[in-house]
Amino acid sequence: MKNFRKILILLTFGLFAHSVLAQELPPLPGKPKPFELAAPTTIQLENGLEVTFVDFGIVPKVTISIVVEVGNKNEGADTWLSDLTAELMKEGTTSRSALDLVVEAADMGGGVNIGVGLDQSSVSMDVLSDYGDEAIALMADILRNPAFPETEIPRIKQNFLRNLSVARTQSRSIASEAFLGLLYGEDHPYGNILPDDGQLEGYNLDQIKAFYGANFGAARTHIYVVGQFDQKALEVAIREAFGDWNAGAAPLDLPPNPQRLLRVKLIDRPGSEQSTIYLGLPVMNISDPDYVSFQVMHTLLGGSSSSRIVQNIREEKGYTYSPRASITRRKGTAYWTLVADVTTSVTGPALHEIFYEISNLQENVPGTPEVDRIQNYLAGIFVLQNGSRGGIIGQLAALDLQGLDASYLNTFVSRVLAVEDWEISALAGSQLPLDQMTLVVVGDLSMIEKQIRALPELEGAEFVE
Amino acid sequence: MKLFSLKNFSALILLILASCGQQDEAPSGLQVDIDYYQLDNGLRVVLAPENSVPTITVAVYYNVGFRIEPQERTGFAHLFEHLMFEGTPNMPEGEFAKFINGSGGAYNGSTRFDFTNYYEVLPTHQLEPLLWVEADRMKEINFLDETLENQKGVVSNEVKVNVLNRPYGGFPWLDLPQVANTNWYNAHNFYGDLEDLEAATLDDVRSFFYTYYRPNNAVLVVAGDFDVDEAKGWIEKYFAAIPMGDPIPEVDISEPRQEAEKFATKEDPFAPQPALAFGYQMPDRGTPEYYAMGLLDLILLQGEDSRLYQKLVKEEGISSSVFGGINMLGNMYNYSGPMLWAAGLIHSPEHSAEDIMAAVDEVIEDVKVNGVTQGEVDRALRKLRSGLYDTIGSTTRIGLVDLLASFVLFDDDPSRINNLEAEFDQVTPELIKSTAVEYLRATNRTVLRRVPASSGEGE
Repeated sequence: MKNFRKILILLTFGLFAHSVLAQELPPLPGKPKPFELAAPTTIQLENGLEVTFVDFGIVPKVTISIVVEVGNKNEGADTWLSDLTAELMKEGTTSRSALDLVVEAADMGGGVNIGVGLDQSSVSMDVLSDYGDEAIALMADILRNPAFPETEIPRIKQNFLRNLSVARTQSRSIASEAFLGLLYGEDHPYGNILPDDGQLEGYNLDQIKAFYGANFGAARTHIYVVGQFDQKALEVAIREAFGDWNAGAAPLDLPPNPQRLLRVKLIDRPGSEQSTIYLGLPVMNISDPDYVSFQVMHTLLGGSSSSRIVQNIREEKGYTYSPRASITRRKGTAYWTLVADVTTSVTGPALHEIFYEISNLQENVPGTPEVDRIQNYLAGIFVLQNGSRGGIIGQLAALDLQGLDASYLNTFVSRVLAVEDWEISALAGSQLPLDQMTLVVVGDLSMIEKQIRALPELEGAEFVE
Repeated sequence: MKLFSLKNFSALILLILASCGQQDEAPSGLQVDIDYYQLDNGLRVVLAPENSVPTITVAVYYNVGFRIEPQERTGFAHLFEHLMFEGTPNMPEGEFAKFINGSGGAYNGSTRFDFTNYYEVLPTHQLEPLLWVEADRMKEINFLDETLENQKGVVSNEVKVNVLNRPYGGFPWLDLPQVANTNWYNAHNFYGDLEDLEAATLDDVRSFFYTYYRPNNAVLVVAGDFDVDEAKGWIEKYFAAIPMGDPIPEVDISEPRQEAEKFATKEDPFAPQPALAFGYQMPDRGTPEYYAMGLLDLILLQGEDSRLYQKLVKEEGISSSVFGGINMLGNMYNYSGPMLWAAGLIHSPEHSAEDIMAAVDEVIEDVKVNGVTQGEVDRALRKLRSGLYDTIGSTTRIGLVDLLASFVLFDDDPSRINNLEAEFDQVTPELIKSTAVEYLRATNRTVLRRVPASSGEGE
């Protein structure tokens, strides 16, 4: 309640701020209503598997996501071996065919989603509430008893190769592959996100089985149940399905050594009508005490539609449709990026404006109304963007990966509102030093290379091949 | 590339675990509480109070989409949508985004076949200023050359990033209607030719605004946690004085019955692999056959249990996925006019278009000859119900206001939202079979290919 009183007061300021220009003013808002966080409850089985339940929503649906801390980071040099393993898990179990799996899931009003990430993978179902226990049994079968039919491997590889070839023609995926390679180094899985065709073609069933055997088990697994459900019944179903699963290996820590160096990589895409800009660097991680302040700075600079970079290069200059800053987290590490697809002819000027906005924020403390607005935005979005059961699961799983729990959420709004104006500039300075950025631009180099090399901000940069 | 990437679990903290206090009473079917009325100036209003989360969603839907935009001004409806965010005499450019973000909320707008919408989600105590803001831009926007020029730049960048500068840009959602339809209104480039966008003038903007953006051509929806009487008072106060416009000019958007299969091929400068799409003209919206097509879509195309997925992906190994549905820019409810049921896939060059369409025909012919089982119908109904619950139960309420606004604009009856399940429950296997026979004719179909430019197969 206290937090929202501050929002109310600040908003009042915001309205007076433009009263000189406005002929008519919007009416003042009413009294904020309080909101409560639903408390997640977490239990742990004897084999180490954890289960978190969250009552949520107004419709009889439940999403159950079984998140295993296994992913591309566990592959070593075998990029996408985890993706291939996960895809083959969809091809049936020792007692169910692939078709049985999807038909049974559809009968529950859902499908089976298997996803693979760098640090975590998941098997998820989103079903009508009546079928929560059956969904758990089905997913347990997929995770514990995969049939791994060798006959399906060539088809899956063909699909992966086709998707890879498409990714390599997309400007953004070309840029992100190069950016991450520079940032994390191509010998770390965080920096090597796409396999070579030949490498992918070479993977065999033995490697898949070995990967599965070494990496899947209860100690790495957390089940999230969000929606409307009978907790007692689902707890019974989970104990029955997973209680005797082997603990398996403990989660893997593979800290990368990301580089903060002023580097530029230009990638030619002849005929490109736009240039894709990928600018960024490693930044503090979520466990840092200043992380929330960093988020406020980031949101003000480029992370929202009313942010400075978006207002400048989209609304004022019309250089681009979709500029946006992001913070991306990996286990124990994070990086910041500004990504924009800009009209080819203004690639240099767009970069210049982006550099200007960063250095301007570093040098000049932003005014209180602007900081208040961004704080209100983050606080309000925290309440509002609660759009889905999947979103809640994603949030909790991401916190668990970093060793944080739901209490992080309970204090989030008050920490956002406590950020001081001066911290914004200080953090822009310490986290986004212009002489330590990695820049990748994908575009028609015959049109843009000169513009980019002429930028004073890139003086002394290493241009890498 | 990846199905459900955990790599995106990052960045902002975007959620709150709101307690809803209603878990005990699971609804046995959809029942949305609705208050529907009209102001004297013709503005239709739908109020849908529901207090599980202390937020409100406000949406204004104008009954003009890209379908009926002016000829020689392709893409204008969408360009105009951008201008609605660029300031009014009372709120200078930039203030809208600042107001919404600063109030702790989010906003968006979109241009679709038969409407253009604007919606915001804010904490519940911001309802009155938010209604003022929507009324303010319905009353009048700024008509400034500089703003228009700037937004032409933004929109042409949008077209480039989404269509011109990427592999498979506009495939098939933008291309297929242009080939399948014969009436200009259904068959032009909805995103806009860049020359047409460049040619737009302030006179075009004024004329479009005063023709289509009047209260008598709009619906206002308020959903979420609010007091109905209080909301009605504010709506009267801020919207009632906006003058109504002339009756909307009528245009003929009908398509003749398709009698011959159509084919087209387009080259793609970036695509490394060929792609293929096919679309069938839909039965008229609201007919029994239309609901049958809704279930056919679920049986044939939605989910990995679907017949086309099983045939094309699992059996034939032609692609890694088949995508599509009814209205590729929305859903089967939020349009009014000719529409395609369409599907598409990216495939390897060793599969010819003829082979792929032969596999498709095998699936379609089986339904036409042997029908579907009651078990398949029941499964489709369960998938439908599960999806509807999510659309209507989402705490952003964006799906809910979209359905309500569509049922007002196109049916003058928002309570249809409460009868949808019953409409689908009427569909029998026999109706599905007869609908397939009439509408899944090859002569009612358009096949579109996208081929790599280097292949030399294009026209």
